[in-house]
Amino acid sequence: MIEAQLLTKCYGKTVAVNGASFAVQPGRVTGFLGPNGAGKSTTMRMILGLDTPSSGDVRVNGKPYHQLADPLRSVGALLDAKAIIGSRSAANHLTWLADSNDIDRRRVSEVLDIVGLSDVADKRVSTFSLGMNQRLGIAAALLGDPETVMFDEPINGLDPDGILWIRNLMKALASEGRTVFLSSHLMSEMAQTADHLLVIARGRIIADASTDEFVNRHSAASVRVRAVQQGELAYALTQRGALVEGAPDGCMVVTGLDAAAVGGAASAHGITLIELAPQVSTLEEAFFDLTRDETDFHAGQLTGSTKGN
Amino acid sequence: MSVSTYPTTPALPGRATNMTTNFSRILKGEWTKVRTLPSTWRTAVFALVFSIGTGAVLVISQASQWHTMTPAQHATFDATSCSLFGIMIAAVLLGSLALRSVTAEYASGMIRSTFTAMPTRRLVLAGKAAIVAAFAFPVVLVSNFVAFEIGQRIFAAKHLQVTLGHPGVLTAIIFGAVAVSLIAVIGVGLGGVIRHTAGATAAMAVVIVGGVTFGQLLPASLRGYLPGTALQAAVTVHRSPGILTPGTAIVVLGVYAAIALAAASIRASHRDA
Repeated sequence: MIEAQLLTKCYGKTVAVNGASFAVQPGRVTGFLGPNGAGKSTTMRMILGLDTPSSGDVRVNGKPYHQLADPLRSVGALLDAKAIIGSRSAANHLTWLADSNDIDRRRVSEVLDIVGLSDVADKRVSTFSLGMNQRLGIAAALLGDPETVMFDEPINGLDPDGILWIRNLMKALASEGRTVFLSSHLMSEMAQTADHLLVIARGRIIADASTDEFVNRHSAASVRVRAVQQGELAYALTQRGALVEGAPDGCMVVTGLDAAAVGGAASAHGITLIELAPQVSTLEEAFFDLTRDETDFHAGQLTGSTKGN
Repeated sequence: MSVSTYPTTPALPGRATNMTTNFSRILKGEWTKVRTLPSTWRTAVFALVFSIGTGAVLVISQASQWHTMTPAQHATFDATSCSLFGIMIAAVLLGSLALRSVTAEYASGMIRSTFTAMPTRRLVLAGKAAIVAAFAFPVVLVSNFVAFEIGQRIFAAKHLQVTLGHPGVLTAIIFGAVAVSLIAVIGVGLGGVIRHTAGATAAMAVVIVGGVTFGQLLPASLRGYLPGTALQAAVTVHRSPGILTPGTAIVVLGVYAAIALAAASIRASHRDA
């Protein structure tokens, strides 16, 4: 559980995080979504006590971070996988973390196993690819078997296998009742991973809703469809009140009816469907709609340095 | 989630909020960090080889020039400090190791992992200082004993040698190691204040050899209080004006170490990591 109350961080005249209040609940994957520079990393650094809030308050498992006994046993975090001294081996990097929080050293090989780095446990970290560094960072986050885990852009640098692996890991951690908080600027990724979304733009939380709710609220559902008898289908759908547009690839994009209704219409007219797919990129559109408003509204605040200290 | 109500009573003290427990874990973590870096052991070997070698070179040169020295030079000749001259090299190498234990973390960004695992930042710096000091001490103690023995064997050819039993000799050997440990603490402080390896290394060089360069601008009475001069005083047996006693030299270095560490602690506690 992570709870923020009017959390604010200013760097000089720039407001990086502006009065953010939210609660990240256990048992589900909460996505922290926002464009680069929106304040995601700053918020995460404040959660971990690395940056001091200018005002407001943030607690993890009910306590300010620095009051947690053995913090790695409560919170596991991956902020920047490359922020690591390269001349230590992966196992030794995890060993000092374990020693600093009184975690059994046997846990080191366990987490290396979980992330699939057992074979390179004794290799220097400087020889690792970004994807391996991400896995090591995740191993470090899991080291203390914490009830809250937090990952800043964990997908970066991973190949498709790695992305799938992370997605399943996040879901598994949430299903064990843990609080899972992960940030991303990739909306399509969030749609597939997160149960709940916290959307941030220009330092403000602009949405706090379940992923389904967010998509439903902020976008018109659409369906991609292709039929042998395209013209007949378009006519049948229009008759049922749908809006039909031609896509450049020859498909039709239907709004106003869901996939079941489109299929039903085709069946009723004896039309053969080649392709029928609910659109999954709508989260992205919803996000752009939402952040566009936010950007317009705050256009006057664009002055000042955007760089932290 | 409804409106969250935070407890108004302070959290119960957990295991790690006990400062002693907390500090012992920091020491454990920081020791693991130091011992798992290959450069630590390389530095220890270099410190041993170069400090013993430098001492031997100076001893050979002094012994060969003995007959050309003036009676005044003969009167102030110190066979102990001469054989321990290489301690300056050990101080530079181990002081740099100490400052890198901080600056390498800032350079890589790993300091954020450190402060996430161990949020009490001033205790982290104190832990780093304790570990590098404890690491430097036996290294310098060994190099001092070996350099002393080699030096005295060379001096024996000219009947200039002293023995371990001579007054002040054992003090010089042990206090020399303590002095380098304190310089390692100064290194952690400089690393924490400057945060960049190159800058902190330059500052460390000034701390150790500043006395024989910029220090010449100071009156001799003040020059004795410079850290590099105090380091030399710690290994000096022959008392002469302007040179601190080994005990005072350790106190002076201790004050520098405390100031450097305090400055680094203040900077770490009041800045975002």
